[in-house]
Amino acid sequence: MEVTVSFNLNGKKVSVTAPPAKSLLRVLREDLGITSVKPGCEAGECGACSVLLDGQVVTSCLVMISQVEGKNVLTVEGLQKDGELDPLQKAFIEEGATQCGYCTPGFIIAAKGLLNENPNPTDEEILEGVSGNICRCGAYPRIFNAIKKVVKKNGV
Amino acid sequence: MITETISKYSYINKSIPRIDSIDKVAGSLLYLTDLKLENALYAYTFRSKVAHGKINAIYTEDAEKVNGVKAVLTYKDIPAMNGYGAIVPEIPVLAYDKVRYYGEPLALVAAETQEAALEALNRIKVDITPLPVVRSIDEALDENAPKIHEKGNIARHTVVRKGDVEKARSSAYIVLERIYETPMQKHMFLEPEGGVAFVDEEGVINVLAGGQTPYRDRIQISRVLGIPPEKIRVKNTPTGGAFGGKDDITVQIHLALLAYKTKRPVKLVWSREESGIAGFHRTASKIKLRTSVDRNGYLLSNEATIYLDSGAYQSFGPTILDVSIETINGPYRIPNYVIDANLVYTNNGIASAFRGFGAPESNFAIESMMNELADELKLDPIDLRLKNILKTGEVGPFDNKIRHAEGLEEALKRAKELFYRPDPTGPFQRTGVGIAVAVKGVGFGTLPEYPTAAIEIVPEGRVNIMFSNVDYGQGINTGNAQLVAEKLQIPVSQINVLHSDTKFAPDTGGSSASRSTFNAGNALLLACEKALSELKMEAASYFMTKSDLVTYKDGYFYFKDKGVSIYELAKRLRLKGKSTRFEATLEVPRYAEAVEGTLEVPHMVYMYGVIITKVVVDELLGKIKPREVDFIADIGNVINPAIAAGQIEGGIIQGLGYSLIEELNYDKDGKPLNINYTTYVVPVISDSPLINVEFIKSYEELGPFGAKGVGEISIIPVGASVADAVTDAIGKRSYKLPLLPWRII
Repeated sequence: MEVTVSFNLNGKKVSVTAPPAKSLLRVLREDLGITSVKPGCEAGECGACSVLLDGQVVTSCLVMISQVEGKNVLTVEGLQKDGELDPLQKAFIEEGATQCGYCTPGFIIAAKGLLNENPNPTDEEILEGVSGNICRCGAYPRIFNAIKKVVKKNGV
Repeated sequence: MITETISKYSYINKSIPRIDSIDKVAGSLLYLTDLKLENALYAYTFRSKVAHGKINAIYTEDAEKVNGVKAVLTYKDIPAMNGYGAIVPEIPVLAYDKVRYYGEPLALVAAETQEAALEALNRIKVDITPLPVVRSIDEALDENAPKIHEKGNIARHTVVRKGDVEKARSSAYIVLERIYETPMQKHMFLEPEGGVAFVDEEGVINVLAGGQTPYRDRIQISRVLGIPPEKIRVKNTPTGGAFGGKDDITVQIHLALLAYKTKRPVKLVWSREESGIAGFHRTASKIKLRTSVDRNGYLLSNEATIYLDSGAYQSFGPTILDVSIETINGPYRIPNYVIDANLVYTNNGIASAFRGFGAPESNFAIESMMNELADELKLDPIDLRLKNILKTGEVGPFDNKIRHAEGLEEALKRAKELFYRPDPTGPFQRTGVGIAVAVKGVGFGTLPEYPTAAIEIVPEGRVNIMFSNVDYGQGINTGNAQLVAEKLQIPVSQINVLHSDTKFAPDTGGSSASRSTFNAGNALLLACEKALSELKMEAASYFMTKSDLVTYKDGYFYFKDKGVSIYELAKRLRLKGKSTRFEATLEVPRYAEAVEGTLEVPHMVYMYGVIITKVVVDELLGKIKPREVDFIADIGNVINPAIAAGQIEGGIIQGLGYSLIEELNYDKDGKPLNINYTTYVVPVISDSPLINVEFIKSYEELGPFGAKGVGEISIIPVGASVADAVTDAIGKRSYKLPLLPWRII
């Protein structure tokens, strides 16, 4: 059995037909050409497939496509405005917060979700906010600095 | 820290952002497991559920009958050699007589759909007679142990000695004898092993899979398929993390075999759990050390018996063993030593390269020993090291003349200012400070290395630089672009990196042993010199003068008041039918012969590091929280301080995982127990301490613009420094990593 699901992907309406239990991650990658979401574990542990679902950070590997009907899905592909990188993306570059880069989109999305809810998080809240994401290269100090940089700009 | 203001260079000593970072933050970088080839088959691996057993039969007929299945391959389908392995090609591509670890591949399946492939996988049956399982170094050494290989359970045994240890020991003031153990560590890179393969119009088999050493992958594929290497292309980039775990073959041969047999594009990606079961890991170690000092704290002798668990086969085992031999004496002056080194087979998966490559294992032993000796001698641990470190020009333990050890002395002196116990910040807290020193050779020591790199001056206004080393996150693309920019005095934005692909890049070797900056960088600089020399003659011809009257600056050649750019000259060369591509090969500086009993000891160029770790131990739970880590590094001249510091930080965090929480375990039947992020826990951002990285101002004349290497140095001393800090906090010494709460309380 397959279902047809319509939702907003990075501001554009899309429609896909897929088995209802197929993960949002697999639909994004296989049916919609969105490859920034990475299948690091497909068990909700690594955060590399994080997306914003109606503004909330979720691991897209644990979301079934049938749950996405009518919702808004945001991935890093949708962060740029008129070709301009999001402040978080810029900060990740400036602070050297990427190494292999495989976890980077997930981290940026997790940070985006955190800052949407709480534009001025404390250091502890930043750490907790992105603790669901793994960076095995260990770029953590620089990822923290990148998020902190955006928080500081927000605060001014 | 090297500051950018004092640098005399234009493009190095600069923390420019990684040249690939825009693609990484935009999510537009396509990793090789992201590739979707048209008409591709879905491929899966059938693996043994028995850790040790005799294969009686593999039944594939039912699987072949599944609609849509295009291939079910077993050892019978391998055209030429059924073996691979970076040092000794003894790992079966598909098992044939025995299985030696849980998850060993027995068959491959490729089908039109995922469903068909999985159905076929389900229908494969095997008849295997189980044999007793060898689960540890101790079990492997037991005289009644089942033999994993015909030759027994010792894959390699070698003894290296100098002086008279008995005599030295008998005159010693203190002799300590200890046993140190370290665990198997999983790489746990975020991108699992995988990729795609296809046969192109020219009949070349293209294998695009995450890896570290494309040309060696190509040779290993060629031996198995029985076709010449030129008929194979390997591309290893981009790769989502590797750390040594993708240095030997993972999926490359299986992919090539399937594409070759089916003549169809194939995609094969391991699941996280498959990566956990069948991917490589770091050698577990058990090291007996007996070390003696005189009354004044000078080391007299070191007797080491090293056992490394290679698992079911040797991958890099023999050379990992070499690095453990080379580092067991630390950077110290030890006149008498005996090192009895053993690489042992067990049924624990396959151990292979992992950042540090035998050095973290030995370092935990010798540096823990140094800290305990300092205690016994009632000497400051930094003073003990200052007394014993080898100085520049001295002859080292392996008859090697020590180059540039001033950095280590300076780092130790700086460490004195940072070495203090922090105050507790809450109840039931004990705090402690620990120290350790690391030394690691750059590259492959005495093994011959002739890396080739190339640059191409493209008339349209860019310079392509080409090398085969893989940037899997270390930042060598950016670093090597900066080196070329410095040499040619042109902006980094004019440089385009083509790397890690046998189609475009010459054989510079792979990314391992902290060698990519040194080897590719040096070879690229040689290629730049060739280019400048050739272009200078072309400039002379353009100016109607002689080349010795022509000068060069910032991408332009000058004669009197006239200038011409390298790109304009390249255009002239092209019109004349001449090449604008310049290739050069480096003879990597090395000693002519290895120490007897080793393959690659000693190295000529060493990196150094001093680490200070400050921890908080929860008295009630035994939980250890690293609070602050200082790392003072001598890595030669620093090409890109931010990227180099990122490497140091990342190594420290991986090292903290290794020291505190990470340990791959197998059950009594040899089945791995922790194979994904749920069961094998790695550090997350809230586990990361405050990290302070400092670089000693240093210049290694043999390196490109004075650089040595950086990738491995910081992970090496973490274990000993954490154990020392915990000892300082709770008053009890630990000899086994990781320092799990129930081990320390």
